[in-house]
Amino acid sequence: MVLKSLKYTLKTALTTTEVTRLYPEVMMELPANERGIHELDATTCIGCGSCARVCPNSCIEMVPYKYGNPLKNRKMQFPQIDYGRCTFCGLCVDECPVSCLKMGKRTEIAGWDRKDIVYGPDRIAVKKFSDKEVAELEAEAKRQAEEKKKAAAAAAKEKAAKAKGKENKAKTKPSEGGEA
Amino acid sequence: MSAIQSAFPGAVLESKVESDRRLWITVDPKRLVEITQFLRDKKDFDHYSGAAGIDKINDNLFEVVEILTSHGAHQVVVMMKVKVPRDSPSVRSLTGLYWNANWYEREIWEMYGINFEGHPELYPLLLPDELVGYWPWRKDFKGYPDTTTGERAIEQVGPDGYTEFKIMPHPEMIKAGVVPERPKYPTFREREEAEIKSDSEMIMHMGPQHAIVPGPFLLDLLIEGERVKKAFLDVGYIHKGIEKIMENRTYLQGIVYTDRMCYLASITNNEAYCGAVEKLLGITPPERAQYIRVILAELSRIQSHLLGTGEFLTLLGAATYSPFQYMIIDREDIVYLMESITGARITHTFVRFGGVRNDLPDGFADKARPILKRMRERTEEYMDLLHSDPIYTRRMRGIGVLSPGDARRLGVSGPPLRASDTPYDMRREDPILVYPDLDFKVVTRKAGDAEARVEVRLEEILESIHIIEQCLDQIPDGPIQEKLPKKIKPEPGEAYYRVEDPRGEMGFYVVSDGSEKPYRVKVRGPVYAYMQALPPLLEGAYVADVVAIAGSMDACTSEVDR
Ligand code: SF4
Ligand code: SF4
Repeated sequence: MVLKSLKYTLKTALTTTEVTRLYPEVMMELPANERGIHELDATTCIGCGSCARVCPNSCIEMVPYKYGNPLKNRKMQFPQIDYGRCTFCGLCVDECPVSCLKMGKRTEIAGWDRKDIVYGPDRIAVKKFSDKEVAELEAEAKRQAEEKKKAAAAAAKEKAAKAKGKENKAKTKPSEGGEA
Repeated sequence: MSAIQSAFPGAVLESKVESDRRLWITVDPKRLVEITQFLRDKKDFDHYSGAAGIDKINDNLFEVVEILTSHGAHQVVVMMKVKVPRDSPSVRSLTGLYWNANWYEREIWEMYGINFEGHPELYPLLLPDELVGYWPWRKDFKGYPDTTTGERAIEQVGPDGYTEFKIMPHPEMIKAGVVPERPKYPTFREREEAEIKSDSEMIMHMGPQHAIVPGPFLLDLLIEGERVKKAFLDVGYIHKGIEKIMENRTYLQGIVYTDRMCYLASITNNEAYCGAVEKLLGITPPERAQYIRVILAELSRIQSHLLGTGEFLTLLGAATYSPFQYMIIDREDIVYLMESITGARITHTFVRFGGVRNDLPDGFADKARPILKRMRERTEEYMDLLHSDPIYTRRMRGIGVLSPGDARRLGVSGPPLRASDTPYDMRREDPILVYPDLDFKVVTRKAGDAEARVEVRLEEILESIHIIEQCLDQIPDGPIQEKLPKKIKPEPGEAYYRVEDPRGEMGFYVVSDGSEKPYRVKVRGPVYAYMQALPPLLEGAYVADVVAIAGSMDACTSEVDR
């Protein structure tokens, strides 16, 4: 009965399609929701740090990065991921409130040093602003901030005025009462 | 279950009937053995499923929870609790009633220091013999790393300029009495050498790194001639303390750790953990999510059985062909299917509380059907091939026979138990998700030998394919995620949830204290039970058969050690 197994071997050898992968030359086809290296959309990230908080291995650190949107992300802090510790669990992706963190099909991370596989925002960002856009946005942010400041100042003034008014009223009230 | 109450007036301190399949009782520690005996003999609770210790430091109590179930007579799981004071914790051992209580109690003893009166061998199981400091899972344990300061080691620069790191607790600390010393007991080696009775006997080591073992564990055989007289198992080489780690992670982060217990069964581990937390939260996932979970669980069963069987057959020297290669090729298709759903190949972290992470990809059913069809053909071919291979049958038939009675007594579950003519399957016993709506049969064999165990696995692949095909036909549209509270903070309480792992009964016992981290997580794994049953199974076998017997159990050390 050993022949039967031999026959099977032959059959498999002749009929099964090629199974060995020619890996470095030909990358295998990865499914659409592969969980590979993260992809950050720096234009929408709000720097909330949710991803850093949920990571079970604390591999995300928020670091400053230039090409984001200063309108949304005031402190310009973006996630930096340490792939020496990442388990590709995807919790950070699920947690992101604006869905700007995704996981892509890139999977090759090898580096010479541990430092090499700590990917800063510049290496995981797939969408970012150019220098010019950043400058414009910054100007816009400044303008908005100033406006806000002005508005705040105005509001404060008004408030102060109101408070004064109230004070005046309060001052006048007892006197009124006294008069009455 | 008022029968217990009437039989033992005053012994039941608290009781709660959670559903018709779960009964929680707290009993008087003095009468624990009596009540257990009553349950075992009169109420058919013949399966001791496990035990867990809990350190209720705020109440100054230790709790031991004994999980008792039945092999098919009924579906009730009794969670029997005893509370003992923290300063002199001692519980009567159940080893006299259930043989397999041995390891569970040993583990509780080494982790919590709860003494079990009447236990035959209270030695460390998972922890090394040389460990300093003791009772590491107590909530007030200050070992290394010291959780109060976060310091792992003390750095000291010596006079010669070298820096030395002293791992805490270091000898001076022990001498000063900061860390209490462990009690003295014979080490593993001394224990096994004490068993050598004559010059004709010797001890043969298999492991910690040996081809038959899927992970590191030490199997020492005391042999006389060609026969194994006694077998000794030393596990704990890759003890990761996952249960303790999970106490320090939020509920959500815990899912990641369940993957790492056994990578072949990561989906079912996810499922068991999430199921337990869902019970605590009081939510049920929507139907579509349940179907997706079932599909994944069955796919994972297929790939696990393929790898387990293939790996094992190589060890048996299936000479003229190499089934391992074939099975790996087939497994690749299944793994690819899973990857297309979850995005990861083996550690999925896919199940979420009240749902799943993402939906099935477009055209999944069309992609899956041909693969499943091919898989079925191939599996039938394997069965035929193995059946007609004389080397294989010689080495497997009638080897390592586990009679139904023994299999139940030793507490094994999953394929080895079903191969011993006991139709005990969690999908039937404790139906979860949409399993009640699906048609499948529980595969059993009469023989109980190594061959039967492999046959059961191969036939289960066919059943799994059948289940997945039904799921693909029936799966409804709809949401895949139930609405969750913003912060996952279950009410104080506890839940036990079990699923059918590829290897058997996998249960998660989760205790919540109302914070965002679980208070205690206990894993009741199937392989733990197999491993415990290995020494008695090997007794009297030929050395040459040890591989066939141990391998046919399809063990996974990573899960034993956790
Ligand atoms: S994928 Fe998981 S481990 Fe990796 S950065 Fe995100 S949360 Fe952390
Ligand atoms: S990636 Fe998402 S979660 Fe992380 S900081 Fe940016 S917005 Fe927040």
